[in-house]
Amino acid sequence: MRGGHFGGGFGGMLGGMRGLQAGGMNSPTLDNLSDDGIVGSAYDHKVVMRLGTYVKPYRKDALLSLAAVLVYTAANVAIPLMLMLGINNFINDGNRNGLHLIAVGFLIVILIHFASNYYQFVWMPRVGQGILYTLRTEMFNHLQTLSPSFFHRTAVGRIMSRSSSDVHQLQEMFELIVQSFGDMLSLVGIVLAMLIIDWRLALLTMSVMPVLFLILSYWQRFARRSFIRIRRAIAMVNGEYNQNITGVRVVESLNRQDENLEHFDELNYEHLDANMQASRYSGGLQPVVEILTGLSMGALIVLGGSMVVGSTLEWGVMVAFAMWIQRFFEPIRHLTMQYSQLQRAMAAGVRIFELLDLRPEVNDADDAIDMPPIKGDVKYEGVSFQYVQDVDVLKDINLHFSPGETVALVGPTGAGKSTFVTLLSRFADVTEGTIKVDDHDIRDVKRLSLVGQMSMVLQEPFLFSGTVKENIRYNHEDASDEDVMAAAKAVGAHEFIMALDGKYDNVLAERGSNLSIGQRQLLSFARAVVGDPRIIVLDEATASIDTHTEILIQNALKEVLKGRTSIVIAHRLSTIRNADKIVVLQGGRVMEVGKHEELLAKKGVYARLYAINYGLRTDGAPEAAGTNGVAVPAVGDND
Amino acid sequence: MSILFRIVKLTWRYNVRLVLAYVTFALSIGFALAIPWILGEAIDSLVVTQDGRISPVSNIRDVRVDLLGIFQTSLWGLAGALLAASLLRGLFDFARTYASDSLAQKVAYDMRNLMYDKLQHLSFAFHDKEHTGNLYSKATSDVEAVRRFVMMGMVRSIEVVARVVAIGIILALLHWQLALLSLVFLPFLVGRSTTVLLKLRVLWLHAQEVMGELTTILQENLSGIHVVKAFASEEHEKKKYDRIAQQLREEYFVNEVTMGTNSAWVTLYFTLALGFIMWFGGLQVIWGHLSAGDLTKFVLYMGQLVFPIRMSAFVIATFSRAISSGERIYDVLDARSAVEEKPGAQDMGRVEGQVRFDNVSFSYDRDTPALKDVNIDVPQGSVVALLGAPGSGKSTIVNLLPRFYAVTSGQITIDGIDIQDFTLGSLRRNVGIVQQDVYLFSATVKDNIGYGAPGASSEDVIQAAKVAQLHDQIMELPFGYDTWVGERGATLSGGQRQRLSIARTILIDPPVLILDDSTSSVDVETERQIHRAMTEVIKGRTTFVIAHRLSSVREADVILVLKDGRIVEQGNHDELMTLGGSYKDIYELQLRPQEEVLLDATFTGDDGGDS
Repeated sequence: MRGGHFGGGFGGMLGGMRGLQAGGMNSPTLDNLSDDGIVGSAYDHKVVMRLGTYVKPYRKDALLSLAAVLVYTAANVAIPLMLMLGINNFINDGNRNGLHLIAVGFLIVILIHFASNYYQFVWMPRVGQGILYTLRTEMFNHLQTLSPSFFHRTAVGRIMSRSSSDVHQLQEMFELIVQSFGDMLSLVGIVLAMLIIDWRLALLTMSVMPVLFLILSYWQRFARRSFIRIRRAIAMVNGEYNQNITGVRVVESLNRQDENLEHFDELNYEHLDANMQASRYSGGLQPVVEILTGLSMGALIVLGGSMVVGSTLEWGVMVAFAMWIQRFFEPIRHLTMQYSQLQRAMAAGVRIFELLDLRPEVNDADDAIDMPPIKGDVKYEGVSFQYVQDVDVLKDINLHFSPGETVALVGPTGAGKSTFVTLLSRFADVTEGTIKVDDHDIRDVKRLSLVGQMSMVLQEPFLFSGTVKENIRYNHEDASDEDVMAAAKAVGAHEFIMALDGKYDNVLAERGSNLSIGQRQLLSFARAVVGDPRIIVLDEATASIDTHTEILIQNALKEVLKGRTSIVIAHRLSTIRNADKIVVLQGGRVMEVGKHEELLAKKGVYARLYAINYGLRTDGAPEAAGTNGVAVPAVGDND
Repeated sequence: MSILFRIVKLTWRYNVRLVLAYVTFALSIGFALAIPWILGEAIDSLVVTQDGRISPVSNIRDVRVDLLGIFQTSLWGLAGALLAASLLRGLFDFARTYASDSLAQKVAYDMRNLMYDKLQHLSFAFHDKEHTGNLYSKATSDVEAVRRFVMMGMVRSIEVVARVVAIGIILALLHWQLALLSLVFLPFLVGRSTTVLLKLRVLWLHAQEVMGELTTILQENLSGIHVVKAFASEEHEKKKYDRIAQQLREEYFVNEVTMGTNSAWVTLYFTLALGFIMWFGGLQVIWGHLSAGDLTKFVLYMGQLVFPIRMSAFVIATFSRAISSGERIYDVLDARSAVEEKPGAQDMGRVEGQVRFDNVSFSYDRDTPALKDVNIDVPQGSVVALLGAPGSGKSTIVNLLPRFYAVTSGQITIDGIDIQDFTLGSLRRNVGIVQQDVYLFSATVKDNIGYGAPGASSEDVIQAAKVAQLHDQIMELPFGYDTWVGERGATLSGGQRQRLSIARTILIDPPVLILDDSTSSVDVETERQIHRAMTEVIKGRTTFVIAHRLSSVREADVILVLKDGRIVEQGNHDELMTLGGSYKDIYELQLRPQEEVLLDATFTGDDGGDS
């Protein structure tokens, strides 16, 4: 009945982690966490105990369901018992009234049985789903506190698989527990009942149990191996599927279909073969269990029969024993079959808690205050920053921007431009020095209160599912429709929005793919100004759009920057030239600061950069960049 | 239903297994049914009824059992028979499990291969419409649903029916009134389970939708985490997520409760029937209408019914899921690719590279034409630049050439032959395309470059990388050409990816080359390297360039200016400037400012002297 199967191993376990350029960061990543393919034990004490703490808020329901299970078990064992009593005491003696009486008693047991059975299914899911809900939201909330460098290092697919398919595994485990817990208790109850009624017969019929357990533990080893094999195989199959669908355009344009099918067939066949093997194992258990059940029953007939003849046993006991034996083996077999599910769930638990245990790098100080309304004065005082120890990305930066100033950051790839602006938004904390906004050290104020008054436009426009309006408004929920429209007008997005179906209520396709990249970027510009931020950062905001839209944005830009402290990483010469201040970064240091003309006159780094990009050609042929002038210093600063 | 029929037809390829599954099933049920019978016979042989009282036989030697009226045996013989029945049941169970599991797995295996191959042969038009996530789930969870149907639905459904019927008959033979009374609720029970199930199906679909919503939020949050951080909108995101997470909890909760309580109802029916059998059956025994052993049989047979009845709910579920999943799968498998090969299409060999578009029109959907009456004649070896606003049809033109889409009307010829007369494989070996959006496979750099030419030697790969100006940077990677890239490998910069794509394409050495040169997100040095690579690779090939840079435009032999799917101007730079039309406008608007900057900068550079 379970529908959704979250492609386990979507993250793809193809190949290893070879040659990771990004290695060596001191920020936490999932890469040094357990592999998605780990298969742990079926019971992990730490995981179980920790899951146990999640039961707390649902203590009442948990206790109720526990009580229900106990009552249910008792009733479950009592049913054959009642039957036995009826047979032995009344049917045997032809006592009709007694039979009526016991029938009424039976009815009561049945009703108790039903009620406890019913309510265990009401209370238990409340606990299970409650725990899953807490885990889901806790994980999501925790992810929000992790720094961007974590996400930079960790593929989205891997986090996704942790927060969806791992939770899904736990969910299946809870369902399994609900199912098996009763079975287990029944087992105990049955054994007790059998021993009390007739210990000799009980011991005899149960004498096959050690044999069963021996065989099971031996079987387990093979079965486990084959389940692991299936898991690996399906991960490979799914990974290949995923890759082929995502890369289908390349596949078709390079004619790779035949090779790919051949390769896929190998993986697919391995999966088939692993499954066939597993079904031989799981099927192989059947004759064993049946024979042992048969032995138990046979023993019951011979010994029980002799006892009946010898008048030391009544035949009703035999009937009850027969029923118990029937109910006896089923849960054991069931549990064995679910062994691999338990393993998977435990491994999922380990992975989930690993994620929850990652420490966020940026925390609000305990005594952090709310940032008062910002004027826009920004100071970098002796700021240095390192991702990896002893490697300075930024070194001893001292700068002061006045409210309303437009500052252009210029420098070659890897100069530290992106790092420079992200520090201001506290994506990470400075290693040395301080950054002050309106003379508040940004570490002394609550991050939300600070960054909430700032905004950013990034290189890749990112839109969320929803309408145009919702995307512009984003987290400024108090912004009115007029505010939204005003923002769109200010950045020149109004016109194209009005041409969409439903205008501002147009529902965007996944990632806004029904809009051109330029239009998407216009929307993210509108989103940036709707809250009327005092500080705005444009990080290569026009880099990934076509020249056509760029012209449009250029016009909007003036409007966006007006009256705000703006820090712009750009390659448009006009933007750079019009800046109040140009900061030239190189190797993480500030080389020069000044206006365009001043810097040109200085004939330093800026003049040289400028000349390289706009002037001098090495081979006399019109250079790609030179002629169009679209690209000055650099992108890809996200080292 | 026709979907189910098609699935059944698919399983018929393995008809031996299917028949084997059914036969072993019937046998295993048969032996399973023997067990309560034997026990009942045992009880009957042990007790005698006299004057409404039941007492054990006095001597063990009196115990003679008349098993099925065929042979007489003792308790030991009976135990032996029971053991034999269990053993046979177990063996047939094994055969049944293996036959039905392997049948289902084989069908799933076939289906996966079919899907995989179909997907990589469908035209771009199909992939434009379908979300990758959706295709992925069709290939995984929908195939899984079909597998479950074959295993459970096709084979197990017979078990449920067979058991109920067989047990019903046996009970009726023993004591038809009691049988009737204890089985009378069965139809209601099945009816109830079925309604609950249909309800569950709706509930389940709904829960899945909410789950999808939740996943989308999570996925967008993770992909857009920079936006989230930049706007400090963590609280906003948490609220959004929490709302749906709560909804999901409710949905799942209702699902589980519905499912669980239904099973409680089913169990109630059986326990009630059991109580009824004890009471009414007990009276019958007392009155001498029923033997003690037959009463035992009743009890034990009822016990054997519990499992199949509970099972029936799941079995029915597999039917309904198989119908919807099957539909989703056959949507893909039945999809007609717009660019199918003609019967008798011929291998293209290696062409010269003379390309003609004759009155070519094309539309992605029926209403809005993307290209209208395009006529181009490109001599072998010349460079064509395509210029125009986004959506003007530049990409469409180049995507028609390798037949990623099929023309709506008109004809495209290479060396004078309609491209539709060639096999797709040979056409695409002749027309190479460097796409703007570069996809890297999870494999080594070498494998990625050699992707389209599996037979290429290491030397060929290195040579291609050198031409693409990528060799030096590959050598700087930790493992050189063996460095793993893609999903979990090293990250390449945009410029490196693009040059890798160039290397990948020139390795197949196509006489016709398409370059999509619209990224501007690279720095100057990279820009130069790409430009150098391009200049290198277009030598001797008929080349189409989607150009955003003046350099590409000016070097072209022909510039096509597109507007709303039409070619509005055609000619080289000087001709078009003289014409004074759209090209001149674009030039004035986008390129002239840069020309000025260029001059300005040149002067500055000169002034700078030593720079």
